[in-house]
Amino acid sequence: MRFEVASVDSLIIYFGKTIDADTAKDVRRVFFTLKEANLPGITELIPSYTSLLISYDFINFSYEQICKEIQVALEIVSYLDTEMSTRDMLLPVYYGSDVGLDLEELAISKNLSVQDVIDIHSQRTYFVYAIGFAPGFPYMGEVDERIASARLANPRAKVPKGSVGIADTQTAVYPRLSPGGWQIIGRTPVLMFDTSYEGFSYFRVGDKVKFEPISKEEFLKLGGEL
Amino acid sequence: MTGFEVLNAGILATVQDTGRKGLGSIGVTESGVMDEFSYHWLNRLLGNDYGTNALEIVFGGVKLKANGNTTFALSGAKVDASINNQPIEIWKTYEIKDGDILNLGFASSGARIYLGVVGGFDIIPQFGSTSVCLKEGIGGKPLHVKEFLPYQSKVFKDNKKLALKNQPDYDEVLTLRVVAGYQWDLFDEVERDKFFSSEYKVTSQNDRMGYRLSGEKVLSTCKGIISEAIAYGAIQIPSHGEPIVLLKERQTIGGYPKIGSVIPVDCFKLSQMKQDSIVKFEHISLDEARRKCRKFYKFFQENKEL
Repeated sequence: MRFEVASVDSLIIYFGKTIDADTAKDVRRVFFTLKEANLPGITELIPSYTSLLISYDFINFSYEQICKEIQVALEIVSYLDTEMSTRDMLLPVYYGSDVGLDLEELAISKNLSVQDVIDIHSQRTYFVYAIGFAPGFPYMGEVDERIASARLANPRAKVPKGSVGIADTQTAVYPRLSPGGWQIIGRTPVLMFDTSYEGFSYFRVGDKVKFEPISKEEFLKLGGEL
Repeated sequence: MTGFEVLNAGILATVQDTGRKGLGSIGVTESGVMDEFSYHWLNRLLGNDYGTNALEIVFGGVKLKANGNTTFALSGAKVDASINNQPIEIWKTYEIKDGDILNLGFASSGARIYLGVVGGFDIIPQFGSTSVCLKEGIGGKPLHVKEFLPYQSKVFKDNKKLALKNQPDYDEVLTLRVVAGYQWDLFDEVERDKFFSSEYKVTSQNDRMGYRLSGEKVLSTCKGIISEAIAYGAIQIPSHGEPIVLLKERQTIGGYPKIGSVIPVDCFKLSQMKQDSIVKFEHISLDEARRKCRKFYKFFQENKEL
């Protein structure tokens, strides 16, 4: 763990230099431990692939004090079953060409059939590394190299709500209509962000996710919008 | 019900307070007022509690009709304002009576005008804040014509005014003090010198999310980093080399290298800069930065009476 200043009221802890499951597990362990510890000086915790940003009450705590507090808290709670916090999640996705805006072109560019792309994308279990960019937007990985593809050269001004996209070896769902450059291959009827959810976000950092292909009829029945 | 009826909504006006805390891990941005200096002074003048909401008006052009009496004040950018065509000053409290028309022209200096009332606007908070975040669709909509902005009918007698010496001047070259951090080490001595000795211009791309600057290009030893959380005031240097200072509605996570962060009290001043304004960067130690910002917050959080 490497501590670094981020701003007057925040610091960032780096856990590694590559995106991988072990580093993500370390991030998660410290994130959940500190969340649980509920230290008085800490105001915000934002985990990502290899790092954790910690904002703190800088009026009452100095950088050195808060670093010490964090280290003490991590020593006391030396073990925490972080696997408790991971859930197995299934996300229904309609992979139709009417909603998968880039599906056909992506298949052609990869020398695959559309069905191949769907199979490859839906066979794997992904891991939620971070939630950011927009409320409830889950950064998931790793996408199979065979369908990994760069962001669009010209990002779309409007990506529909629920769109499932690929960017490099990451995959994600757009929680609401927004601009975006990920290659869109399908759409889910499930809301990513809703006040009725505990914690508001459908996914949590650490969740294991599998995509389940559904028909257009099922998509519509589950409340999906075309 | 008492409140303002919106006759003209201006370019962009949103209700804001100190923003949302603790939701960064699910991607919800902080939001809140861009210029806390003007905002906290506004609440101080009105005798409001710390963190009472206010209307943040970009450039002006807003016209409101009062339904019921209250006391209000304006702060921030310099603007011609009137009640029933009688000119009024900013940084000063006034009574407004049922049927009065409050009219704002356009700012001649500065970018954001704050309008507050005694007790704040009666709006139900979402996720702990009444701040409107247009991009995320959280906290309601920006001000629009025919909207009713409710307030409590309250009038207090002694009007207050901020001393002239405390009123800011937005036309000076602004020096933004920077705490070294994040990927500071990826920028070598030569690049850091360039960064701290150059003048930068505010581009047209400036909004509640951040300010994009143009000027001397600064290069780092890496093109991108693994996406990580972004602090308030963080200075991103994308591969084109021109800095972007990220402000209240920044996205929670991003993948550009950062040389450090502008201290909050200077971010507030930056938020009043318009396109083509000139800014400079200056290095400040973490201890010194903490001392300066602490003084600011202690002043507004502790001393209630003006």
